[in-house]
Amino acid sequence: MTIRNISPGVWFILPTMLLLAALIVYPMLSTAELSVTDANGAFAGMRNFNVAISAPSTRLILFNTAYYVIGSVVFQLLLGILAGILLNQHFAGRSLVRSLMLIPWVVPGIVAAMTWAWMFHTDYGIINYIMTQVGVISEPIGWLTNPNTVMPALIAVNAWKMFPFVAVMVLAGLQSVPEELYEAVRVDGANFWHEIWHIMLPQLRPVLVSITLLLTIWALDGITIIYSITGGGPANRSMIFPIQIYVQAFEYFEFNRAAALSVLYFLFISVIIVLYMRVFAAQEKD
Amino acid sequence: MRDRRRTLLISLPVAMLVIVAVFPFLWMAVSAFKPLSQLYTIPPQWLPDPPTFENFKNVVFQSNIPRYFINSLIISIGSTFLALVFAIFAAYGFARFDFRGRSAALAFVLIGQLLPTATVIVPLYIVLNYLGLINTYIGLILVYLILTLPLSVWMLTGYFRGIPKELEDAAIIDGASQLGVLFRISLPLVTPGIIAVTLYSFVATWNEFVFALSFATEKEMKTLPIGLAEFSTEFDTDWGAVMAASFVMTLPIALIFLVMQRMFVGGLMSGATKG
Repeated sequence: MTIRNISPGVWFILPTMLLLAALIVYPMLSTAELSVTDANGAFAGMRNFNVAISAPSTRLILFNTAYYVIGSVVFQLLLGILAGILLNQHFAGRSLVRSLMLIPWVVPGIVAAMTWAWMFHTDYGIINYIMTQVGVISEPIGWLTNPNTVMPALIAVNAWKMFPFVAVMVLAGLQSVPEELYEAVRVDGANFWHEIWHIMLPQLRPVLVSITLLLTIWALDGITIIYSITGGGPANRSMIFPIQIYVQAFEYFEFNRAAALSVLYFLFISVIIVLYMRVFAAQEKD
Repeated sequence: MRDRRRTLLISLPVAMLVIVAVFPFLWMAVSAFKPLSQLYTIPPQWLPDPPTFENFKNVVFQSNIPRYFINSLIISIGSTFLALVFAIFAAYGFARFDFRGRSAALAFVLIGQLLPTATVIVPLYIVLNYLGLINTYIGLILVYLILTLPLSVWMLTGYFRGIPKELEDAAIIDGASQLGVLFRISLPLVTPGIIAVTLYSFVATWNEFVFALSFATEKEMKTLPIGLAEFSTEFDTDWGAVMAASFVMTLPIALIFLVMQRMFVGGLMSGATKG
């Protein structure tokens, strides 16, 4: 193949592909190399992996990561689907409500984190005040310092942050549902719940599958909220995998061990990315 | 009749939804205008009385926030612009030509868009350090291309595909070159796409935390998100200042959003998947 035979398309994409290769492929290969060498660059085999896996905190971190990801995704989906269905109904001020609902998603992550940290404040936080007033709790809770409440609190923040994304996607999905479907079941005497259960959710299924995978990937990358609010504490109770990588590298300066963690993390996340791409490709074909 | 009942039935959940979505944002805003004595009270004071600009004064005159603001602007604009230049060519190539390896390349771009930042921070730090680009604008602008470039390519490809090929063919017959067609015919037609991509890239970089935390460690180079996190130390946090700084940081995003809302949502639908 001579140069002249190469499609012009290749020349158009070449600069970008080279840049992305430099920014993504090279670092990833380099991570792999770092993970099997020691601080002096000598080959270390699986030692970094062994140390990383057998560390006493590993089990807790894995548990936390699963807890955070599953909790976040479940509540993001629940809230988002609910909001999407609601906003698809006709009511006065609908477009205003639609744009107000996007606020959490538009607010910068760090701002969301700080605002919620203030709302969760043990002594002066508005959440403790409201909950004690209403009688849900009898005395203020140290949401972010109590080992048992820190994760639920962080999950609440993450759910709040991302549910508008789900809502918008659900809304778009619902708008493509033909009106005849609703009419058909209404003739059969179906109520609103039947409509949700038998029409909306089945029609939304493909959208929900790909959103769930995306939300999982994002939750797995959720450093900003947790790191800025708790730094992984108290006593590692909110430490998740990506934060551990950061801490290992930039607080303990153990780059090789951090690289080993990165490799493990990447292997895990690539499974989800592959799943997502398969779903995505299948949908493109339709 | 049925519709009316339904409206009543959904007004309560709609009201709750609005409160959930908006309350934290409003609480941040009112807290920013409260003096210390009103921030730390039980029961909490709902509205500042009277509102004070004290917190904003502290943020503007006694912290590094203004500097961080400018850093964030430079880096976000730089990375957004650079990504746009590369992405216009790449997206056009993907949208208009069929060639071997096209779908593999496109898949690679999508992977780039999905890749979690934590997987590449360690080697990127080492590379930037080696090149002497830690704590430089160039360094941050480059690493932020990981966020902005795949996103821009992916979104713009969709916009370019939306242009009828006949328009371009006609121009080619009239003797225009491929590049001429891109810049004179197609690019003006995807202006909405360019705007959407610019907004998304800007917001993504403006909000980014982890790269900034790792690659901008000197006071002169930090960005707004890091500045915000710095206010809060384990034992002592000036919550009034934090809320004021949050307000300042959210302002540009809120303005963009208010003015460009339709495009913002449109852009989201067309496959923006990083944030």
